Amino acid sequence: MKTYKNYGYGLMGNTDSVVLKNLKLWNGRKFEQRETLAINSCGRIVDAPEEGSKEFDCKGALVMPALFGLGLDFMAPLRDDVYTFGDGLDAMHRGGFYGGLYESVANPIDDIEKLSAAAKRLVQNGCYSDLEIKFLGAYSQEFGSNSLSEMVELSQGLTDSFGKSIVDGVVGFGDGNAPIPHSRFLRLAMEYGKMTGKRFFFQPMDKTLRNSGCVHEGAYSDMLGMKAIPRVAETIAAYTILEMARFLQVPVHFKQVTCGETLDLIRTARKNGLDVTCDVGLYHLLLDDSCLETLDSCYHLIPPVRSAKDCEALWTGIEDGTVNAISMNHTPVLRQDTLVNFEDSVPGAVSLEIALPAIWNKLSARVGEARAIELLSTAPAKLAGAQPACEVGSDKPVNLVVLAADKPHQVESSDFAGHVYNSPLLGKELPSSIVGSYIYGVWSEA
Amino acid sequence: MSALEIKHLFGLRGVSKHDIRMILDNAKQFREILERPVKKVPSLRGMTVVNLFFENSTRTRTSFELAEKRLSADTVNFTSSNSSVKKGETLVDTLKNIEAMKIDIVVVRHKGTGVPKFLAENSNAIIVNAGDGAHEHPTQALLDMLTIEEKLGTLEGKNITIVGDIRHSRVARSNLWGMTTMGAHVTLCGPSTLMPRNTDLMDKVTWESDVKKAVANADAIIALRLQKERMDDALLPSMREYRNTFGITEELLENVKDKVIIMHPGPINRGVELDSDIADGKHSVILDQVTNGVAVRMAVLFLLAGGRANEDV
Repeated sequence: MKTYKNYGYGLMGNTDSVVLKNLKLWNGRKFEQRETLAINSCGRIVDAPEEGSKEFDCKGALVMPALFGLGLDFMAPLRDDVYTFGDGLDAMHRGGFYGGLYESVANPIDDIEKLSAAAKRLVQNGCYSDLEIKFLGAYSQEFGSNSLSEMVELSQGLTDSFGKSIVDGVVGFGDGNAPIPHSRFLRLAMEYGKMTGKRFFFQPMDKTLRNSGCVHEGAYSDMLGMKAIPRVAETIAAYTILEMARFLQVPVHFKQVTCGETLDLIRTARKNGLDVTCDVGLYHLLLDDSCLETLDSCYHLIPPVRSAKDCEALWTGIEDGTVNAISMNHTPVLRQDTLVNFEDSVPGAVSLEIALPAIWNKLSARVGEARAIELLSTAPAKLAGAQPACEVGSDKPVNLVVLAADKPHQVESSDFAGHVYNSPLLGKELPSSIVGSYIYGVWSEA
Repeated sequence: MSALEIKHLFGLRGVSKHDIRMILDNAKQFREILERPVKKVPSLRGMTVVNLFFENSTRTRTSFELAEKRLSADTVNFTSSNSSVKKGETLVDTLKNIEAMKIDIVVVRHKGTGVPKFLAENSNAIIVNAGDGAHEHPTQALLDMLTIEEKLGTLEGKNITIVGDIRHSRVARSNLWGMTTMGAHVTLCGPSTLMPRNTDLMDKVTWESDVKKAVANADAIIALRLQKERMDDALLPSMREYRNTFGITEELLENVKDKVIIMHPGPINRGVELDSDIADGKHSVILDQVTNGVAVRMAVLFLLAGGRANEDV
């Protein structure tokens, strides 16, 4: 069984110096064969290794920028006795993530106290300010679509009496996975939020068309008699949002797009000059609704995984540049909430620990290595206003992940942090494996 | 006699012709026993069956309970209204607790699709599906098939028309899987808002929106119960319009085969999906279905338990 240490994120000046041997290093354009790569105790790539550096034989593995995760939910503080912020950070480290965009579904960050509390929990769990965790704020109180949240204060963050930042402001606004609000509230929220200049993040879902659906409306849902969510629940919501964004000239982002029809709307909106970005979820690229036949609640995701045709349309969107980033939507679900039948289970899946080995080979084969890194690291970081994992040619500290692309890995429950392993890929064999990471000065080997 | 290929009865999709044949043949033997003065056989003596009903049910639960008693099994009824489920216990914990009482077979009804399969994956008991969501209700379909064979001799080549709320019907789904496996031609008919929208994986049946065309060549017509909630959900405008458009009426039966049989899984909404004159008329085999329900459930329980008492039958 693997063991992971308590990382102590970002304790600069007390970091690991390492020498990686026999590796292929990403140079910004391609992977180049290197005999050694030395990183000093300040986290910088140097020519000569420091004395006492740890050595690691990468055995030809790929060394690339660490990842940035969109859609992180560590469930705390609602049940942080079970899955803590620390577990979430552990999951990030295991998966080679140096940062992410945090958005609590269970406990909306709808005022400055909640933002401050969330940031404090990160610090309490060993996460220092140099780890790139950014926050999304809610645009409505308690995701209720009745009262506006304190968007201006949320966007400003908190400073001390000397003007030093205590908590950065949120990077955008979104109401978690709540269906889009009625049009009047949508208008008011975007109108008010426009003052902040921040982007609005929506998971496009029409509430009435979703109804109580839990799977994609298609051949499998009808065959199995399951309550389903049609594509049109997404496209109608997307259209409404785009029209409001055009009307108010507010930048928007669509989270977890699931079908080609929505991507078509985005393409058209961009042609018309709208500032609209989007991501697709990791599992929506890896699964289709044929998985429903097992009736296993691990496939309960909202928005649902759709048909093979939809999945292919998402890949087309990845290839042609319509899709900006691949999101992780890391949602721990407690074990007791999975010990029920599909429809009664809590939707969501953890993903951080296995995302890279699950998708790298297919992704890099379809779009090339540069675009793959962009989709998993630089583009999501840019969307969240975060620093990149590392900058080629600069002397800034680096964040790297080491992937053995040809070393399959059987996913086990022990791969996941916090004893929470609700993943559709549990028990499956992944085509590659993470063998190490260097994140904010901490070197760890899997 | 060879054993069933299935270990549990989750549904009829994927169940072989061999297994369905065996269940129907055994049910015919049990049907004869039910006509005897002494209707009880010792086939499941010493075995305990739990009827785990998370949804309200009168006739299905009673039918199962009677089948279990006729087979001499010890039976326990467990309903969600008097259980710790209401206190927040998980489904698995409920089952584990029941299983710890050394039960052998669980008959389960639940609103959630896949609950029987889920329970089987988490216990050692034999699981029988008594209805899971809109997914399947296999024993209802088996009793329908038994009734058709009893009245028409065979299912092979027969035209079976199912009319009503197909989309939400577990009875329709189990029937279409089971009957097509046994060689029948199945036609499904109903208003467009109550029909499945994606039929790619249900391509062995005929879809018809005109009820007159749907029943014209039918050997058996199964009318499904129309739930009043469908009106509240705006899936239908009114009971009246439904009756006039899709109801099985005297007028509709003027242009069907003389020997057509009329079936209904019950309970009937008289004057809605089925007129009273038809429900009580010469074509109706509805009460035979009820009797056959006990026989089919006896066969299912007996065969899944291992068929060990075959000689006793």
